[in-house]
Amino acid sequence: MSLEIKNVTKIFGTSRKGEGFTALDDVSLSVKKGSSFGLVGESGSGKTTLTKCILRLESLTSGTIRFEGKDIHALSKAEMRRVRARLQIVFQDPYASLNPRITIHDIISEPLIIHRETVPMSSRQRTERVEELLLQVGLSREHLFRYPHEFSGGQRQRIGIARALAVKPEFLILDEPTSALDVSVQAEVLNLLHRLQDELGLTYFFISHDLGVIRYVCDEVAVIYRGKLVEQGPVDDIFDHPKDDYTRMLLNAMPDPDPDLSPFRRVE
Amino acid sequence: MALLDIQNLQLAMRSYEGETQILHGIDLKIERGEIWGMVGETGSGKSLTGLSVSRLIPSPPGRYLAGNIDFGGKDLLKASDRDMRALRGRHIGMIFQDPTTNLNPVFRIGTQLVDVALHAGHDDPSILGLSKGASRSAMKKAARKTAIEMLDKVGIPDAATRIDDYPHQFSGGMRQRVLIAMAMIGKPDLLIADEPTTALDVSVQAQILRLIHDLVAERNIGVLLITHNLGVVAQICSHVAVMYRGRILESGPVREVLKHPSHVYTQALLDSVPTVHTKRGELRGLSGLSPEAFA
Ligand SMILES: Nc1ncnc2c1ncn2[C@@H]1O[C@H](COP(=O)(O)OP(=O)(O)O)[C@@H](O)[C@H]1O
Ligand SMILES: Nc1ncnc2c1ncn2[C@@H]1O[C@H](COP(=O)(O)OP(=O)(O)O)[C@@H](O)[C@H]1O
Ligand SMILES: [Mg+2]
Ligand SMILES: [Mg+2]
Repeated sequence: MSLEIKNVTKIFGTSRKGEGFTALDDVSLSVKKGSSFGLVGESGSGKTTLTKCILRLESLTSGTIRFEGKDIHALSKAEMRRVRARLQIVFQDPYASLNPRITIHDIISEPLIIHRETVPMSSRQRTERVEELLLQVGLSREHLFRYPHEFSGGQRQRIGIARALAVKPEFLILDEPTSALDVSVQAEVLNLLHRLQDELGLTYFFISHDLGVIRYVCDEVAVIYRGKLVEQGPVDDIFDHPKDDYTRMLLNAMPDPDPDLSPFRRVE
Repeated sequence: MALLDIQNLQLAMRSYEGETQILHGIDLKIERGEIWGMVGETGSGKSLTGLSVSRLIPSPPGRYLAGNIDFGGKDLLKASDRDMRALRGRHIGMIFQDPTTNLNPVFRIGTQLVDVALHAGHDDPSILGLSKGASRSAMKKAARKTAIEMLDKVGIPDAATRIDDYPHQFSGGMRQRVLIAMAMIGKPDLLIADEPTTALDVSVQAQILRLIHDLVAERNIGVLLITHNLGVVAQICSHVAVMYRGRILESGPVREVLKHPSHVYTQALLDSVPTVHTKRGELRGLSGLSPEAFA
């Protein structure tokens, strides 16, 4: 197993008087190496909180998270830094997540500098690596010294992916990476993620509120509702034979572009 | 005569880079009982088309180069600001994407709804169930009653109490219902809804779509529903217009257009939507197509 989450509970605000808010409630799931695991749920269900717990940006109330066997919340700072080089994240908003004041070159080389102890490189090597990454995500050398505002949403998300890949991680957390994009652009980014996974043998933990996107990208899926996993398993099983009422409701609510499948359209 | 008839609408917008033509001759006719979807990618001109009908584009930066928008026997592009104020909220209802920017956080939900109801009631007291010459206090009382009825109709539980809540006490889905109530309170003939469900979860989206669908069935109004979501169009629209760079590439009954698109662009858009049935490798984007292919 690449990532193992066991009985994770996260309660916010317990220190003050009052009950506290249970954002994650006894969550367990495992992600196999080289696979794509999807987490689907509506806003506020706890998806981003779980990614923060994986990255140790939030502490756990109880439970364990293991990455390649190592208990993430028990690591020393130095050990955690080494783990972080192999466990990277791509954020939802390609507009907010790139520093507008620095060039694409500097944005993508940032993690190479942060992780220079794990992956030592000269500045020349760094620039070569950035060029290689730009090509890998479908951009080109000409883009090196441009600024984020000169790029479209889809291109910015490609830049975000290149940055996440800079230190050659094995594992990518993708938190709603295409939610802010037009569908046509989303399709291209999803296809890019497929290709990168094939080429680099990456493992994905893919978060989305869009069931269509999850089915397209993932091998396995867990459905989260108010901090609890209501159902998980291979995508085909869950989508074709949902057992949980909430999963069924989500599937029914998902608007299909085939007008004949509309609940409002009477059959003529 | 159609409820709304947009002919050859051409709009230019001025920015610091100079004036650019945004709408290149939009033609669209909406009859009562029809829900027209307008789909297209970001920046294709959907919102500016909707805002043109409500005449909410200030000039400058906007300038109409040609066209007319016929509604109720008038060309809206030639209507005075006073006429437009009377039409908006009364004959033309509007809902926009983000409920937080359209409800004033410092006023109670009720205050905002009653305002709209009173405004409509001045124009036509029958909306409040009153006859001409009703007293101010009778108007106020009836406006509140109408507001509660409308909240109840859009599915706000316990409307008579919740009407005195502030917007922040409502969830996103409830706030969007309030906006629909606000748009519908004057019994408009035409509803313009710009991405009304984009910020909402799918389960709430399904409820809002049902609400709009039922209002159309009940009141026989016409709707222009602006969205980038082909799934939403397929669900509730009777007709659809596909926008690309300020032009309508094709339009017609929703089954015809979505089942048998005549334009490669429409087909490409459909091929880029991941549905719960799409398998790995089946999605296509637009990058294989050259923009010239769409012209
Ligand atoms: N730091 C925090 N303090 C208190 N509550 C929080 C905090 N972070 C998140 N929450 C709450 O936890 C819930 C889950 O949030 P989140 O994980 O962001 O959901 P999702 O990503 O699924 O939309 C929400 O109700 C949110 O308000
Ligand atoms: N106030 C404005 N000034 C100048 N250009 C504008 C303004 N508002 C919108 N535009 C431009 O008009 C085009 C269409 O915008 P819009 O109607 O908002 O698109 P859509 O709603 O389809 O995403 C875009 O290219 C946008 O940049
Ligand atoms: Mg989130
Ligand atoms: Mg818009």
